[in-house]
Amino acid sequence: MQSVLSTVFEVQPDSKDMLVARIVQLRQDEESLVGPQGEKYGRLKVRVPLLHFMALSVFEDDRYDPILVIETNFDGPPGPFWAQLEAAVGEDLRAILRFCERPSGPTGALFDRVVAADSRQPIAPLLEGHSFQPLIVHLGNRGLDRDRILREADLFHAARTILADADRTAPNPYRSATSATAIHADLRGALLASFPWLDEPAPARIPAHENRSDWLRLGGFLALLLLALSLPGVLLGLMLRPWWVAVLLSLVAAAAFAASIRDLGDLLRFFGTSDGAAPADARPRPTAGSRLVTALKGSAGVVAVIGVYLAIPSAAAAAVVAPLTGAGFGDIFRASAQVLGAGLASVPASALAILWWLRRLEARDASHDHPRLDEGKLRAMMEREDHIAQNHMGSLVLVKPGVLRAVLLRVGLRGLGLVLRVTEWARRGYLGSMRTIHFAHWALIDNGGRLMFFSNFDGSWESYLDDFIEKAHSGLTLAWGNATGFPPARFLLLDGATQGRKFKAWARHSMTVSLFWYSAYKDYTVDQIERHARVADGLRRRSLTKEEGTLWARDL
Amino acid sequence: MRVEGVGPRGRPGGLKGALAGWMMRSLPAVFRVLRAVSPVLRIGDTVVVTRYDDVREVFLNDDAFAVPYARKLDVIMGGQPFFLGMRDTSDYRRDTAAMRTVVRSDDLPALAAEAGRLAAEAVRAGGGRIEVVNDLVREVTFAVLGRYFGVSDPPDGDLRIWASRLFEFQFADPGDDPDLRAEVDAIAPALRAHIQGLIEARRASGAFGDDVLGRCLDRQSRGDPGFSDGQIRAALTGFVVGGPPQPPMVVPQALEQLLRRPAELEGARKAALAGDDALLLGYVLEAMRFDPLAPTLPRVAVRDELIAAGSRRATNVREGATLLVAFSSAMMDERRVPDPRRFNPRRLAHEYMHFGHGLHTCFGLQINHAILPMMLKPLLERRGLRRAPGPDGHLRKRGAFAERLEVVYDPE
Repeated sequence: MQSVLSTVFEVQPDSKDMLVARIVQLRQDEESLVGPQGEKYGRLKVRVPLLHFMALSVFEDDRYDPILVIETNFDGPPGPFWAQLEAAVGEDLRAILRFCERPSGPTGALFDRVVAADSRQPIAPLLEGHSFQPLIVHLGNRGLDRDRILREADLFHAARTILADADRTAPNPYRSATSATAIHADLRGALLASFPWLDEPAPARIPAHENRSDWLRLGGFLALLLLALSLPGVLLGLMLRPWWVAVLLSLVAAAAFAASIRDLGDLLRFFGTSDGAAPADARPRPTAGSRLVTALKGSAGVVAVIGVYLAIPSAAAAAVVAPLTGAGFGDIFRASAQVLGAGLASVPASALAILWWLRRLEARDASHDHPRLDEGKLRAMMEREDHIAQNHMGSLVLVKPGVLRAVLLRVGLRGLGLVLRVTEWARRGYLGSMRTIHFAHWALIDNGGRLMFFSNFDGSWESYLDDFIEKAHSGLTLAWGNATGFPPARFLLLDGATQGRKFKAWARHSMTVSLFWYSAYKDYTVDQIERHARVADGLRRRSLTKEEGTLWARDL
Repeated sequence: MRVEGVGPRGRPGGLKGALAGWMMRSLPAVFRVLRAVSPVLRIGDTVVVTRYDDVREVFLNDDAFAVPYARKLDVIMGGQPFFLGMRDTSDYRRDTAAMRTVVRSDDLPALAAEAGRLAAEAVRAGGGRIEVVNDLVREVTFAVLGRYFGVSDPPDGDLRIWASRLFEFQFADPGDDPDLRAEVDAIAPALRAHIQGLIEARRASGAFGDDVLGRCLDRQSRGDPGFSDGQIRAALTGFVVGGPPQPPMVVPQALEQLLRRPAELEGARKAALAGDDALLLGYVLEAMRFDPLAPTLPRVAVRDELIAAGSRRATNVREGATLLVAFSSAMMDERRVPDPRRFNPRRLAHEYMHFGHGLHTCFGLQINHAILPMMLKPLLERRGLRRAPGPDGHLRKRGAFAERLEVVYDPE
């Protein structure tokens, strides 16, 4: 299990520059502490083995005091990670926190103790108390812990070294091998002594309990969503006769449909083609027969879900109410099912009404097409980019006002996050058809007033944003469309990030300098890590079939 | 040679001893419940602290939570202050700094080698069967450290007995046993006189020698602060009482834990055979985590103080209260220690608190790290290492003290 947390502290405005200098000093210190292979950031690599990525950023805003954000991506639950981090850089973090404001909440007393002169108060509880989970997370190499990533990379390089045949005067046995399975057997034999873990089965990347939990959470979310959307129908069903309910809902639906009809076609077309967002290698092209089977299965599933949705609460209501009132179980059951049915019938009307409301808001939204970029800040950001195969992006934006935005932002991001947890291609690291993100997340701060985005990705910032624009614009618009100044969007999915120039300017303007940024495996892209994993998985097996061997050997 | 009765007196045997043993064995489960239900438990004037964060906090807050050792140390030292009983004062800093100039990290390789050599001799002499507590670990520890400190056996007594009795009096006698006190009243002045005699004899010989005593006298001759006769005597007494009695407790306990886990025993054996001393130390420290030196260490609140501020378990501790700081529980706290019930010889240093934490972290921590694994290494290197048949093959304790553990192995 990988965890993503953000830890936020407000900064004393007068101390901002000193804070920045202290963070830069930490960066320089860590760069100078080399690891076992002479690499920079050796202390963090050795003493915080749970850590994948970490960044310290300071965001400035004319309307708020600056904030310090510690972004952490790590393995396992948070507790042991904070203990490791404290043991490695606790005193540096204590020095950094001394430039922050005392929190007003329950952690204020603890903060005082942590930052007091000569304090030795443990710092992990404070960091833990100020950290929070994001609304949505995307993982590039889900289920691979840091040690496994490094271990499998070492294995891959060892295999490559053997294949490269150091003695170039002698015939390379692997070139003359008759088949991929023979190469597999030879390589496994040669590597087993140095990598004894090849004899052990690979830990499941998504254990059964985690898979169950993902689906249960998504199911719970959808049930709550259904309940919320059916609430108007339920209320009307309790007050009015069924035919009045039907008339009222039809009127609302018709009015909302009529008001949004110009754009609804685009939305329907989007959903009709949205599976195109999945990566090419992740989706087998369906035949007409398989489409029919899928449609039938889907319909049967929907009918079954509706049946369960109506039957269980109705039976429960009847079981409770019938003995109390003396009415018949069947009567109560039928009445309850009728009300719930009215609720279900109101779902389309509710959805259309929300879409209509949203379109009204979107039509009146202001955007920020030409944000003014501070040249110095831009230069500082760019100086920190493109040093290694990966880059880092941290962004903070204001959220558009209004209750609908507040609800949609939370529901949209939470729902998208839960869908990403169960979708096969997202589980394999794809966002749309791009697989360049190691860890990315969105999180709300200031009671939902501001939206943070952090990403650790492969390649340059320009190519990353281009990927977003071309391959994942709808998800991005859903996540960011509720932020002020975002390029105009429709229905939170359409347009928005497709307006490349405006979107890039807006995104760059929202960013800050990555003052401190650590990657535990700076040379590896998401794809490369998956390649290492495939090679390792193959080598873990004692033998491969001819077809498996051919596929496996492609990664060597 | 088997030596009987050199260990601490320990707790009585029989039903009372069995009951005490059962209670000690139950403590991990009790702590587990406390960590979840009542992490900072107050019973009258006693506060039991069980979570990793709170244990660290108490150890690190020595301004408010002092060690309660001075009263008994005064008995042992005859009133001469020793840094183990001090608070973080200039005297404490001077004395510890002085002793760090004579107990040096560059001594560690030689100490480790000597411990390994003597242990190998003992294992060889055992001829396929050895009693680990006394015949291996106690013998080797006292021989290595006695020579290193420059403190030989007294002519009229046994240093192992004297040190072990004084250790028990200082650290494991919460009930102030009058019989033990009577013994201490005889042993403590005799040990002080013995060490003073060694100081004077060495000074009179004109050759200081390169052990801790010799280095102290060299510093004294140069007029360095912290090296009066009284200070040297107290330091050597403290080292002898606080140091060598501990390995005969923890090393057999570690071996017992390894014997219970065949896969881990095999891992430790491979590390020993490969000469990977760092990994072997990892096995020993990890085995000790499942049966550490003691369940708790005591502290006394010298002012009113809050523990775990800002959390729901925040607890006010009143001045004068006794704190039982459960470092054994902290090392099993899944809130900070990853997968604590799994045996993992590659844990990080911060996951262990075997040697205390903060101001009074064991002065001999590095020495222990150097010699503890070396005493097991020759045993682990032997083929067929296993428990001796019968009850002798299982670690027997008296109270908190290891008393007997016999193992057999293939003779060379």
